[in-house]
Amino acid sequence: MEAPQQITSRKDPRFKVSMYEHVGVKNSWTLSYYLGHGGYQAAQKALTMQPSEIINEVKASGLRGRGGAGFPTGVKWSFMPPVDGRQRFLVCNADESEPGSFKDRYILEDDPHQLIEGLLIGGYAIGASKGVIYIRGEYYQGYQRLKQAVAEARQAGYLGSNIFESGFDFDVILHRGAGAYICGEETALMNSFEGLRANPRLKPPFPAQAGVYGLPTTINNVTSLASVVHIINNGADWFSSMGTDDSKGNKLYQISGSVERPGVYEMPMGASFRELIYDLAGGPTMAIKAIIPGGSSTPMLPFDDEHLDTPMDYGSIATKGSMLGTGGVILIPTEKCIVNATWNLVRFYAHESCGKCTPCREGIAGWMVKIYQKLVKGFGQEGDIELIEDMADKIRGKAFCPLADACLGPVQSSIEHFRGEYEYLIKNGKPMYSKSDWWSE
Amino acid sequence: MIELETIRPFFEDKKELLAEILNRYPDYGRRSAVMPLLWEVQRSERHVSEARVEEIAGILGLHATEVKGVMSFYSTYHEQPLGKYHLQVCSTLSCSLAGSDQMYDWLVEELGIVNGETDRDGLFSLQKVECLGSCGTAPVLQVNDVYYERMTRSRCKEVLAALRRDELPEPWLERGGDNVSAEKAQIESES
Repeated sequence: MEAPQQITSRKDPRFKVSMYEHVGVKNSWTLSYYLGHGGYQAAQKALTMQPSEIINEVKASGLRGRGGAGFPTGVKWSFMPPVDGRQRFLVCNADESEPGSFKDRYILEDDPHQLIEGLLIGGYAIGASKGVIYIRGEYYQGYQRLKQAVAEARQAGYLGSNIFESGFDFDVILHRGAGAYICGEETALMNSFEGLRANPRLKPPFPAQAGVYGLPTTINNVTSLASVVHIINNGADWFSSMGTDDSKGNKLYQISGSVERPGVYEMPMGASFRELIYDLAGGPTMAIKAIIPGGSSTPMLPFDDEHLDTPMDYGSIATKGSMLGTGGVILIPTEKCIVNATWNLVRFYAHESCGKCTPCREGIAGWMVKIYQKLVKGFGQEGDIELIEDMADKIRGKAFCPLADACLGPVQSSIEHFRGEYEYLIKNGKPMYSKSDWWSE
Repeated sequence: MIELETIRPFFEDKKELLAEILNRYPDYGRRSAVMPLLWEVQRSERHVSEARVEEIAGILGLHATEVKGVMSFYSTYHEQPLGKYHLQVCSTLSCSLAGSDQMYDWLVEELGIVNGETDRDGLFSLQKVECLGSCGTAPVLQVNDVYYERMTRSRCKEVLAALRRDELPEPWLERGGDNVSAEKAQIESES
């Protein structure tokens, strides 16, 4: 018998929305709603399993971290050292702040119990009795909903001691950030949680060896933990029946920029950009020239048939010279000056550079942003493009953490694909596309 | 003789709140309370003064410079008092493509203040901020803790007019994508 085909399109009748099923529904954030829709059944099941069984199930599912780096979640969990009596932590990274990414926000706001359940299962699997949710400071509504959800879960015995009579104790600390993109980097997040300036730490030691307060720690993204709930409920086979060879399961893709229906769409991995942009989001609202495939740090790609038909999975996007990242797609219209669009992102990274290492502080936050500012104001000179390229070459791979390289994604790719616009701007002192009012009535 | 005015400690009459914050963290992680403590002060007094920095340092057994070091790292703690309504315009790419630069320019003209300033009545502060995670519902204007999304020109005028009457309007429910709409929410709540 032939093996059933993998689900790689949302049009496949076997595909069902799971993580986002209840998002956008009124009162979906309450415990009574969650329990009325199968809530905490996965946790109850998980707590009757051996921790190693859960880790194996997650490994078998093929789930890769949904925060951007794509490291296999089950493998990460298995890095935790043997239980030795020390406090262990499972930290949820809810510091979503990569431009173009907004999938976690609606889980925090509309389905916080789903996250708490995922955290509980993960905590049990790695033997951590403390969970931490580090939520970005701007997500105030998400924080309020989460706070209420944690209180309800404690009240009902889903958090606390001896959960489901299993002998397992687990509780959650909610910790708010205060406006710093760098806190999405896991070691910076740990420093921020400890009440230090959020500079990244040297790795090794990795968090599993010495994480929060120097104790064994695992850090997972919101959506990774939400996925775990459904993997436990429906099995690893269900999860891995979706997606492609190197990218299993379903994922929350986000689309913004000039498109009819921007937002978050849950799709099986391996679905194409075309399906997301045209079938779900209703197509562009104006002529488009570039796609940012997975959050601002991923190199932009030309908007053409070749790239539209590329499956949105790790390997396929990598062969096109970019990355899946967080799955945050941004469409850049033809009318937008590409140098200006890139400057916008360079300015973002310059603002968010933590100042710890020289290549990023002087390279990105110093030189790079100044050259771009000069270019967009029409004062570019011959040789500036080469200077940017030379600087990019000297920064790449030499900074302490990935932030500097993240900035180079849009810089280098925009020069690669749209060099003509840079040259035009430098030669004429004004951009090739001059549309300046983007605000609608 | 000159009587010096003594500053009443912020947490003096908030013992329960203080205990609740400190109890969130393990004993060996007392320092973790620095951000929540700074935030309580910021939220209540719209800035964190030197005196409050010293007070927080005293509570946590830190030097004031350590607390100030943390405070100055983040963009949401302020040294100078913010206005009653803190208008934060997201300026990153998706919002920029939806007109946030023009929204910012319009607010500058309307309010007579630029990025980082507070008006003389202490009613409005204006700040350009980076990505707020509202890319699908761009452009976004954050007023204090509230997001106003899909801020068209007319909505922006509406919100500003309300704020000038000293009213913080209810934000409209904006979602988009799979987590669709107010209609769906309405149907669910009625069924």
